Amino acid sequence: MSERLGNRLKERRTELGLTQGQLADLCLVSRKTINTVENGIFVPSTLLALKLAAALQVTVEWLFWIED
Amino acid sequence: MSYRERRRFDAVDAESVQRSRRMLVWLTPLIVLQQGFVIFGRDRSSQIVGTIAWSCISLSLLWIFLGLPMRWLSERDQAIANDERSRMVRGEAACWGIAALIIIGSGMMVARLWAELNAGIVIYALVNGALLVSMGRYAWLNRAEPEEDE
Repeated sequence: MSERLGNRLKERRTELGLTQGQLADLCLVSRKTINTVENGIFVPSTLLALKLAAALQVTVEWLFWIED
Repeated sequence: MSYRERRRFDAVDAESVQRSRRMLVWLTPLIVLQQGFVIFGRDRSSQIVGTIAWSCISLSLLWIFLGLPMRWLSERDQAIANDERSRMVRGEAACWGIAALIIIGSGMMVARLWAELNAGIVIYALVNGALLVSMGRYAWLNRAEPEEDE
């Protein structure tokens, strides 16, 4: 079974006109972290997921979901 | 008229820490090699100096990569330099280092059945083998800074 975490990070970020660097600054993480989360390489912790959702003004459930 | 802000070379921030970590990875094999020449040299005094230098450098590398809080940075830079992805990368690099330590150690235990091993060489091989594997894994997981939106 290979589950993957899908996300709408890039979609929402560009909607708000934010760069990866700006979003990283808002969440106090590195830009690489944002980049790897967006590309599905790194699965964020609940804490970071909540921070991202808050920074992008959406719910965590909207931002992340499990893909089969 | 506008003036460009002068770059402060003594200022340390999260980005410069990340840059130094990436750069140091590539210097590690050279450091290990150079230290080996000094430690195993014929001259007794240079052996002592080399051993002390080797211990200091190995501990510093471990400290820089496997990460301590870096309290000289601002809280914001500390959080960025040690964010959860960075901790994950360091954790995995450490796991590989431990695995290398066990494999090299086991190999040497087997090897001593056939050959007499010198304690200095054993310690050198164990520590540096683990360090190099760990650094290699760290470099691989931390490879090339991705472009914005790449």
